[in-house]
Amino acid sequence: MQRLLVLIVLAAAASLAAAQPGPQSWPTRPLKLVVPYAAGGPVDISARLLAAKLQESLGQPVVPENRPGAGGSIGVELAAKSPPDGYTLVMSAIATLAINPSLYASLPYDPLKDLRHVTLLVQVPNVLIVANELPAKNVKELVALAKARPGKLDFGSGSTGSTGHLAGEMFKMVTGTFMVHIPYKGSAPALADMMAGRVHLMFDNLASALPSIKADKVRALAVTTKARSGFLPEVPTLDEAGRQSEAGLRGFDMTTWWGVSVAAKTPQAVVERLSAAIVKAMDAPDFKDRLRSMGSEAPLIRTPDEFASFVSSELKIYTELVKRSGAKAD
Amino acid sequence: MEGIFGNLAIGFIEVFKLQAITIAGMTMTLPFNIIMCLIGVLLGTLIGVLPGIGPVATIAMLLPVTFNLAPIAALIMLAGIYYGAQYGGSTTAILVNLPGESSSVVTCLDGYQMARRGRAGPALATAAIGSFFAGCVATLVVAMFAPPLAEVALKFGPAEYFSLMVLGLVAAVVLAHGSLIKAIAMVILGLLLGLVGTDVNSGVLRFSFGISEMADGIGFVTVAMGMFGICEIIANLEQKEHREVFTSKVGSLMPSKEDFKRMVAPILRGTLLGSALGILPGGGALLASFGAYTLEKKVSRNSHEFGKGAIEGVAAPESANNAGAQTSFIPLLTLGIPSNAVMALMIGAMMIQGIAPGPQVMTERPQLFWGMIASMWVGNLMLVILNLPLIGMWIKLLTVPYRYLYPSILLFMAIGVFSISNQPFDCFLMACFGLLGYVCVKLGCEPAPLILGFILGPLMEENLRRAMLLSRGDPWVFISPSKPISMGFLLAAIVLLVIIALPALRKKREMVFVEEK
Repeated sequence: MQRLLVLIVLAAAASLAAAQPGPQSWPTRPLKLVVPYAAGGPVDISARLLAAKLQESLGQPVVPENRPGAGGSIGVELAAKSPPDGYTLVMSAIATLAINPSLYASLPYDPLKDLRHVTLLVQVPNVLIVANELPAKNVKELVALAKARPGKLDFGSGSTGSTGHLAGEMFKMVTGTFMVHIPYKGSAPALADMMAGRVHLMFDNLASALPSIKADKVRALAVTTKARSGFLPEVPTLDEAGRQSEAGLRGFDMTTWWGVSVAAKTPQAVVERLSAAIVKAMDAPDFKDRLRSMGSEAPLIRTPDEFASFVSSELKIYTELVKRSGAKAD
Repeated sequence: MEGIFGNLAIGFIEVFKLQAITIAGMTMTLPFNIIMCLIGVLLGTLIGVLPGIGPVATIAMLLPVTFNLAPIAALIMLAGIYYGAQYGGSTTAILVNLPGESSSVVTCLDGYQMARRGRAGPALATAAIGSFFAGCVATLVVAMFAPPLAEVALKFGPAEYFSLMVLGLVAAVVLAHGSLIKAIAMVILGLLLGLVGTDVNSGVLRFSFGISEMADGIGFVTVAMGMFGICEIIANLEQKEHREVFTSKVGSLMPSKEDFKRMVAPILRGTLLGSALGILPGGGALLASFGAYTLEKKVSRNSHEFGKGAIEGVAAPESANNAGAQTSFIPLLTLGIPSNAVMALMIGAMMIQGIAPGPQVMTERPQLFWGMIASMWVGNLMLVILNLPLIGMWIKLLTVPYRYLYPSILLFMAIGVFSISNQPFDCFLMACFGLLGYVCVKLGCEPAPLILGFILGPLMEENLRRAMLLSRGDPWVFISPSKPISMGFLLAAIVLLVIIALPALRKKREMVFVEEK
C-alpha cells in the first residue's frame, strides 16, 4: 500500500514536471498562432509566413488558427486567457491593443495587464491620398481648400475606428478643418469611390493604396510616418508639411502595426526565446522581402520591453484621439 | 481585333510553355503552367463540393505555398481554385439541396427538384455546359473590353448600388411561388437577420444580444446550410422510404435533344447578365445568379415549371455565376480594386510576388496578364472535361441510403461551418436555422427570398446611408437627372412591383406559380 502511495506521488510529481517544463525544453509540443481576423487579410498572410519560419527555428509545428469576431477581441481574449506557457501566441495589432480599448464600452481583456507583448512584426505607413479631380496638389493647398469649403470635403475610411478614420480625425484636429467621415467596409470600396471622384480624400495604409497611386488613379500628398517611405520616396511626410506651413502637423506620426503577444504570466525565458526566434525570422532575407512587398519596412522596435512600452504609448495616444473623434462601439 | 488575337496567342504560348522543373533531384521538361491550372481547378472543384469550405480560406492557406512558384504559375493556380469552386458548388446543390457556394443557392431551387425527379444527370450536365459556355464568353469579354468595362464599374456609386439592390429585392419576391404575402414576409425576415452585427456608420452593435460571436453578424454559410441543408434532411426524414422513388427513376445521364433546345436561350441570357453584373465590385456575381433565375422565370415559356425542376432554372443561374466569376477579374486587372474577398487575396498574391496590380500589368507584363486570361479558358475546358465523366459517379451518391448519407452530410456541414471562424457557436446557430427552415416549410414559406433579403439587406442599408451621407441628407440623390443609372433601376423596380402587385395580374400569377404541394 505504502509502495503504491509512493508510486502515485512520484507519478504526480513527474506529471507536474511534464506540465511545467523549464524554458530550456520549451517548446515540446506544437504551438498555436491565433489570428483574430478572417483568413486572407494582411495580418493573416504575415502570420502564415511567420508560422512557417518559426516552425523551422523552434523545431515544433506552429499552426495558424483564425478566430475572427468582434473587431479581433475574440481571438485576443482567447490568447490572453490561455495557460501562460508560451504555446498560444496571438497576432495583436493596433486595433486590438490601442484603439479598441477606448472604442468599445467593454473589452474582455486589458491590453497591458492580460498580455505580454513579444515582438513588433510589421509597421505600415498610412498615406494621405486625394482624388485626381481635387485641385489641391499638396498638403498646404488641401488645408486651404478644406478651410475655404468647411464641411464640403469627404474623407473615406475602411471602417469606423480604423487607423484611416482616426488619422483623418487627427488631421482635422491639428489643422482646424472640418470634413465629413464616410465609413466603408474595407478600404477597397472607398478607393473605388475615390477614383470615381465621389470621395475627396482618404488616409489608407500604404499596401492597399500603392497600386492605385502607381497607376495614377489617385494622388498621394503625404505619408503619415516621421520618415519618408522607400516605396514613395518623392512623397513628403506630414511632419515635413508641418515644418513648411501647417505647424499643427509637426511631429505627425501614425502607423498601422501588428506583432505577436502571449498571455501575461508567460515565463520571461520563454518570451525571450520566442522573441529571438521571431527576430531571426524577420532578419531572414526572403521573409523581409515578403513583408516589404506588403508595404512594411522592418520595424526598429524589437525587444519585448520596447514593444510593451510602444504599446502603452500608442494606447495613450489613441485613447485621447478616439475620445476627441467621438467614435464608439459597444 | 488582330491585337486581341495576338495578345491571346501570347497568353496561350505562356500557358502551354514547357519548363524545366527539378523535382526530387530529377529534372523534367513539363508544361508546368498547365499542371498548376489543373491542380487549381481540381482543388476548386473539391472545395466547391465540400459545403462551407470556400475559396477564400483555401487560397489563404495556399498562399505561402505559392511563394516559391513563378508569379504566373501561382496566379493561374489560385484563379483556377476560384472558378473551379463555382463548378463544384452546383454539384451538392443539385444532388442534396446543399449550396456549397453562395452563388449556387438558386441552383438548389430547380436543380434539386430535377434530381428528385430522377434527372440529376441532365441537371449536372446542364450546369457544366452552361458554366463552360459562360466561362468562354466571359473570358473573351475580359480580353476584349476590360478597360472600358472598368470605367463602367466606376460609375456605380452608393446611390446606384442602393437602387440596384432595391430592384434585386423586388425581384426576390418573384423567386417564390405561392403566396405573395409570405414571400414578402420572408424577404423582410431576411433583411432583419442581415442587420445583426456591427453598424458600419456608428460601430454600434445591433441584435447581437451580448453574444460576441454575433458581433460581426451571422455568416451567410450558416444561414444557407441551415435553411437548405439541415431543413431538407429534417423534411425528408418525415417521409419514410420516399427514397425509392428518388433513385429508381435515375434516367439518362445526358440531357435530351429537347433539353438542349430549352437550355440555349437561358444560357445566352445568363451569360450576358452574369458578365455585366460580375464587373461590379461587391456582390455582383452573386446578384447575377439570382437575377438570371428571376429573368428566366419571367420570360420563359415554361415558367410554370420553375421550382419543379425546370432545366432553364439550372442553366441560367449557373451560366450567370460562372460568367460573373470571370468578369469579376476586370476591376482587379484594370484598376487594382478587388471586387470580393477572393480578389483581395489575389492582390495579396500579386503584391507578394512583387507585382503591383493595376492597368500597368497589361502593358508591362503582357505574358502574365494574357497568360492568366488564356489559362481561364483552358481551365474552363478542363473543368467541363473533368466534370462530365464525374456525373456518373456523383449520381451514385443518390443511391446511398439515408442512414449513411444524412449523418455524413451533417458532419461535413458542421466541419464546414466550424472551419470558417473556428467557433462551435456557429454550428449551433446553423442547427437553429435548420429548425427555422423546417418551420417555414411547414408554413409554406420558402427560404430563397429570405436568403436574398439576408444578402441584399446589409448592402442596401450600407449604400443607402453612404449615399445620404455623401449628399448631406438629400433623398433626391437617387432620382436626380445626374444619376440616370440609379433612376433607371428604381423605375425598373417600380414597374416590376406593379406587375407583381396588380390584382388582375396577381390572380394570374397565383394560377401560374401555384405550389405543387
